[in-house]
Amino acid sequence: MSAVLSRTAKLRHPVAGTLAVLGYVVMIVPILFVVATAFTAGSTLRFPPDGLSLRWFGEAVAYSPFLEAVVSSLELAVLATGLALLLGVPVTLAIHRGRLPGKDLLEGLFLSPLVVPELVVGLALYQQLMIGLRLDNFTTLLLGHTALLLPYAVRVTGASLALADPALEEAARGLGASPLRAFVTVTLPMLRPGLISAGLLGFVTSFNNVPLSLLLQTRDFRTLPPAMLDYVQQSYDPMVAAASTLVLAATVVVAVVAERTVGFAKIFGGINR
Amino acid sequence: MRARSSLLLLLPGLAFLLVGFLLPAVAMLFAPPGVGFAQVLERMATMLTDPYDLGIIWRTVRIGLIVTALCVVLGFPIASLLARSQSRWAGVLLALAIFPLLLSNVVRTFGWLVVLGSNGVIGQVLTGLGIVEEAPQLLYTELAIVLGLVQLFLPLAVITCYSAVAQVDPGLDEAARGLGASRTRAFWTILVPLSLPGIVVAATLVFAGSVTAYTTPYLLGGSSQRLLSTQLFSYASVTVDWAAASATAIVMTVLVFLVSGISTLAGRKGATA
Amino acid sequence: MTTPAAALVGVTQQFGGFTAVDSIDLKIPRGRLTTLLGPSGCGKTTTLRMLAGYSAPTSGRILIDGEDATRTPPEKRNLGMVFQSYALFPHMTVADNVAYGPKMRGVPGAERRRRAGEALELVGLAHLGDRKPKQLSGGQQQRVALARAVAIRPRLLLLDEPLSNLDARLRVQMRAEIRRIQSETGLTVVLVTHDQDEALEMSDEMVLMRAGKIVQTGAPRDVFPTPADRFVAEFLGYENFLTLADGRQAAVRPEHLRVVPLDTPADGAVALDATVRDVAYRGVDLLVTLDATDPAGTAVRLLADHRTDAAAGPTPSAGDRVRLLAPEARLALLPALSEPELDPVTEGIS
Repeated sequence: MSAVLSRTAKLRHPVAGTLAVLGYVVMIVPILFVVATAFTAGSTLRFPPDGLSLRWFGEAVAYSPFLEAVVSSLELAVLATGLALLLGVPVTLAIHRGRLPGKDLLEGLFLSPLVVPELVVGLALYQQLMIGLRLDNFTTLLLGHTALLLPYAVRVTGASLALADPALEEAARGLGASPLRAFVTVTLPMLRPGLISAGLLGFVTSFNNVPLSLLLQTRDFRTLPPAMLDYVQQSYDPMVAAASTLVLAATVVVAVVAERTVGFAKIFGGINR
Repeated sequence: MRARSSLLLLLPGLAFLLVGFLLPAVAMLFAPPGVGFAQVLERMATMLTDPYDLGIIWRTVRIGLIVTALCVVLGFPIASLLARSQSRWAGVLLALAIFPLLLSNVVRTFGWLVVLGSNGVIGQVLTGLGIVEEAPQLLYTELAIVLGLVQLFLPLAVITCYSAVAQVDPGLDEAARGLGASRTRAFWTILVPLSLPGIVVAATLVFAGSVTAYTTPYLLGGSSQRLLSTQLFSYASVTVDWAAASATAIVMTVLVFLVSGISTLAGRKGATA
Repeated sequence: MTTPAAALVGVTQQFGGFTAVDSIDLKIPRGRLTTLLGPSGCGKTTTLRMLAGYSAPTSGRILIDGEDATRTPPEKRNLGMVFQSYALFPHMTVADNVAYGPKMRGVPGAERRRRAGEALELVGLAHLGDRKPKQLSGGQQQRVALARAVAIRPRLLLLDEPLSNLDARLRVQMRAEIRRIQSETGLTVVLVTHDQDEALEMSDEMVLMRAGKIVQTGAPRDVFPTPADRFVAEFLGYENFLTLADGRQAAVRPEHLRVVPLDTPADGAVALDATVRDVAYRGVDLLVTLDATDPAGTAVRLLADHRTDAAAGPTPSAGDRVRLLAPEARLALLPALSEPELDPVTEGIS
């Protein structure tokens, strides 16, 4: 891979090519070492690994705190993503198609959770909702994750909506469709790529979230990232490498789904202006 | 769509945003439980004069600046090579650069424990080759944090710069070459200035991410290399010092807003100049 | 007298402080093709959208078949609309697009397909029903949009700049095509355009608009020789304006100004002495730019088309002193003062 990059790069510019290769090394190589150490037969995290085995994968899969955390993470990510879309899509429609004053301000408001540091949001929810209002941690987590995902739902589906010709909906109305029917038969299919992108992004963002999930965790409900962080703090064995490798494999599957449905680069194009 | 139905679409999302984000954030910053705003201000005043606290702020900003510089220096070449490449590998390499964005921060950061740890790759290689007697202390250093953060935010820099470069007409490079500019001159006089707004956005995103990131300084910095984020977490959940937590949160948020504000202003000035 | 297919009575449309359509009255004659013609921003598209029900007038009433439809939503008006962008549903096949209207009306499947086929037949695209809109050329998409609008058996067919996205050759072809469909179906058609040639060629009735008001209405044959004011004249391609000896304003087209030697007798035409300023070769003719003094004594810049064949006389060149003849019958007389704010003057000339 880096050979290809440097070969095409060298033809153009040797300095740029070298920097690019360096960049890829920093981005990718540590991840490869995680995978390599996960297959060790020994009991310490070292490289090169002491022999090959799948033993740590077995342990990771059987380790009940991780298992419970995975279930919690999935549950939370699915609910928060669904809720964010359910709330965010109507907001997008109102902003893009409605006649409201201060649309830019309104959109800015819904994007604001992206601007405030997540750790600050986490602290706010922990202090005000969990301690202040005595909400249970699952409700607080769901509230927080949903608020965090709203920007994706509003902006990414908004980008799809902005691409759709407003005349399509009018055409449907003119042909006899009620407003609801025009939305379901014409607008919703137009929003499909945006909904898939926002859904995937939202799911991944919630699943991987550390700051909120860490501050709002309790013994009863805790997601995978804080569970893994805790484990690394306590003991330093290759089980986390195995768990990480499994997370990596699952992420690859998500990436492939993303590529097949909407196109990988497009999904992330949506969040960066 | 009439104003009233737009409002109906908007309200559920707005209510959620208020309860799940805006109100708690405002309440936490200005009136933590049992603590008045005066105490938060007082704590902030000591933070801005106390050498220990100032040291943490300065370390956070310094690391943020170094990471931002490295991400631009490594990310822009990758972006420009990929955006200008005709190779079919360019798409694969772009996907490879974006993929880490989907992958859990915990997993990505964990890779550096494997690389930099006392039994890690670098230590093993150095002692194995007899270059050093004992593996050097790489973990829990500023260098470790910088490496971890560059790995974390380089993908963001790459795709932001990529969309900026892709918008620059390749004909302009060719025109510059035709007018006698060398490849390097054309790069510095055409591509860089025209992609500058994108580079500024990338730098802002990376800086904001670096000064608020938690996982990386927690895993790679340990307790000796405290940053604002790890400090905030410890105020919130270890010492439960609400005034200090709020003060730290304000400093962090102001830092991020300040930099985004400056970059927005710079962008606007650049657009009119 | 029969009821008009549609009528606008004192209709005004304001957006914020801007008046897009200013208290217009308009009757759309049944079974004929009416064009709303005017420059961009004149209110023609707004008028069409109010007729279709996509925006409600600020005041005034809209009647369709003599019944008040001012507040009727578009889906209950049964009007076929062709959008400038065509607005074909990209996720449906051509046939599904055309069958969409009948489907919304609860027409059963087989009948729906038959009707869609019929409509596609009418526009000559029956063989492309299984394609997606993206796989069609611009002209074909245009025909699908027409078929889709016709398939609901609309009371009126509304066309918003339907030809503006086509290339020049296709545009001319589609003009005839739309006329054919109109006469075959006997539909009442309202077409919005900014192209005077299109309007002249296609209309039974032309409605000229400017700044939210109707400036002139009538059949092309009546409107063209007698523009109501300077604005209409300019819009219809009258490029020369002069004041006659009796103080009346007149407009004349470049092709009706003859460039002749100084000593040629006027023969009843209005004659002006002029100096040739510039001559541009255009193949069949020369475009001659002249500085002249009009009968009222004002200096004017005039354009004349001078045919290159021998019958037209000697070829003028820059600097020549020449005589310009404007036949009385070719002069379009304009109202003395045509301030932009004046109300449209439709009487007086015709």
